[in-house]
Amino acid sequence: MSSVAGSLDKDVLLDSARETPATLDAFLAQVERRAFRMAELNLRHREDAMDAVQDAMLRLVKHYREKPAAEWPPLFWGILRRRIVDLQRRRKVRSIVVGWLGGGKDDEGGELPVWEPADRSPGPLDRLHDSKSYADMAEAVKNLPQRQREAFMLRMLEGLDVAETARSMGCSEGSVKTHLSRAMHHLRDQLEDWR
Amino acid sequence: MTTPGNNTSDHQAVDHPDSRDALIARRARTLYREASQQLDPATAGRLRAARRQALDSINAKPRRAARWLIPTGAFAAVAFALVLVWQPMSHAPTITDSHTVSATDQSADVDNDLPPDADKTDPNLYQNLDFYGWLAANNASNNQPVNR
Repeated sequence: MSSVAGSLDKDVLLDSARETPATLDAFLAQVERRAFRMAELNLRHREDAMDAVQDAMLRLVKHYREKPAAEWPPLFWGILRRRIVDLQRRRKVRSIVVGWLGGGKDDEGGELPVWEPADRSPGPLDRLHDSKSYADMAEAVKNLPQRQREAFMLRMLEGLDVAETARSMGCSEGSVKTHLSRAMHHLRDQLEDWR
Repeated sequence: MTTPGNNTSDHQAVDHPDSRDALIARRARTLYREASQQLDPATAGRLRAARRQALDSINAKPRRAARWLIPTGAFAAVAFALVLVWQPMSHAPTITDSHTVSATDQSADVDNDLPPDADKTDPNLYQNLDFYGWLAANNASNNQPVNR
């Protein structure tokens, strides 16, 4: 696992994204689209993802704008992670309540969108040049357990180092490595034929 | 876009789990970056608007007055209600006393003209009414100035 992270640190992670802009505006402009993608991968709903990113931006600006710029990435991704978890819990409670109320099924037993209509707008996957690969990857990432998914997305996709990932996830660096190792093991199995 | 699968060296590296992990991570990261850049214009516009709104919140004046208006108003209403309730209770004895005093004064004045209340007067008074009548008449005659 460490060799994977090491090789990524040497090439992939050392790109422009590792340089934190000096202004909050530039930083948010740099991460807003990736934050939306990350929220979308976790929440599987575009409106919820937009809400999560918007709230993360507001909280970062409101509470941490005086912090050094180098601390913004782990703070922002940590805020976004917690917001995503909150929305997932809220959605779970909502589904339970809907189940108690007898909603969510039509006459033939099919699922009904009780609270919100399904997100049927043309998804970004359709616009991707190689949407199939992205869809496969997204599906594999979605199937990961929560903490493994967070570790993979923050460490591998977003390129935070282990310490920043641990800070964003609110756990130790050892836990990050463990979650990441398991995540890579699962992805290796699920994406066996993936190119 | 980089397609690791088309690279011969990548095929050789896949045999090793760590190399396979590195390929997956690199490919996933590339796709993630591309997907982020290829957002539809509407979503990108909403994200820009959200960023503007977040940054504008710095310059927004804290609405302390509005924030304190509701609790202050509620406190004032409760205090006013307490004053209304407490004032009659605390002043009630005073008002009664004043009524009592004024009533006493009035009764003192009236006592000079009216007979005493039968319930409150000593029963001996009624037994010796003739004596008290004589005494009053005698006192009146004694108090008259002697001008004759």
